Amino acid sequence: MTNREKYKQAFSAVHASDNFSLEAEKMERTAKQHRFRTMAAVVAVCAALVGGAAAAYAADAGGIQRAVQVWIHGDQTAATIQFDGNGSYRMEYTDGEGHVRHQSGGGVAFAPDGTEIPVSEEDLMAQLTEPDVQYEEDGSVWLHWFDQSLDITDRFEDGVCYVKLVNHGEPLYMTVKYENGYATSSHKYVSPWEFN
Amino acid sequence: MKPPLKMLIEKYRNNLYTAAFNVCKSAQDAEDVVQDTFLQYWSQKKEFETEQHIRAWLLRVAINKAKNKNNTFFRRNALPLEDYMETLAFQSEESSELFEAVMKLPEKYRIVVHLFYYEDYSVKEIADILKITPGNVKVRLSRGRMSLRNTLKEAWEDDE
Repeated sequence: MTNREKYKQAFSAVHASDNFSLEAEKMERTAKQHRFRTMAAVVAVCAALVGGAAAAYAADAGGIQRAVQVWIHGDQTAATIQFDGNGSYRMEYTDGEGHVRHQSGGGVAFAPDGTEIPVSEEDLMAQLTEPDVQYEEDGSVWLHWFDQSLDITDRFEDGVCYVKLVNHGEPLYMTVKYENGYATSSHKYVSPWEFN
Repeated sequence: MKPPLKMLIEKYRNNLYTAAFNVCKSAQDAEDVVQDTFLQYWSQKKEFETEQHIRAWLLRVAINKAKNKNNTFFRRNALPLEDYMETLAFQSEESSELFEAVMKLPEKYRIVVHLFYYEDYSVKEIADILKITPGNVKVRLSRGRMSLRNTLKEAWEDDE
């Protein structure tokens, strides 16, 4: 038997757990958050919602519907989002060409003990105000945050890019790993070693 | 091309898990790495040229994520290697000894040895995946082999 055959025989004993398929289902649900973030870029909750919740939403049999202003790739767009109370939403908006678009999704979070928790509306809204990094088919990389769209393609060094964003005078220091997520802080750049 | 996630999970999850475990030596962390890697594949727009391209990309991401686990201050309480090995059904005592010898190699030798002997990658392909030079791969592979030879004696042939 060759070394290669011996090696493969030894490591053939190592397997991922049998319940990985269940984990995969969870992953699909969790991933919806990521897809939504990619599609919708940034959502700014409208002033009416911030000022007084009663004026901003109306409950119906399907859940709670909220009027929001959506930033899609730097363009502010009126939209409605309906939450079902179980971590899922359905959004409707009209794009720049006048077409009515629908987007739906949702997500789950995990408690320290592994318990699955539906993402709350607040959590969803908080995530929707985070920056969005788009990897385009032409190889360019764009960063979208509220009304700002930056081409950061050439700003990566050793797979890492540092960007300082400012919104209403508040800085946001952003560390982007090429095709491997990002981290933000209002105080300093997060080290690339500190996150996946 | 971008094949369905489910197909890739069925095909590569054990390869990714084994590579991740090889790096981080924790079953739970390796499970997390596999899940995070497939999640990253699923959630991004990246298109791939070939299936070999996908396989190499998945392994690269999994290895990087596993390295990140090692660099995380708050690591899970990993099961000692000896305890984990007791849960594995090795086909022979020789296999068990080889597994243990590999896991005792320094990480940078371990992953190169694994990609060469388990994933059948060439030196150049390993260099592409790990983003290091082919010369560096050769050195690590040579030192890893030498260490295995010293530990396993005649059970590991001199195949340089």
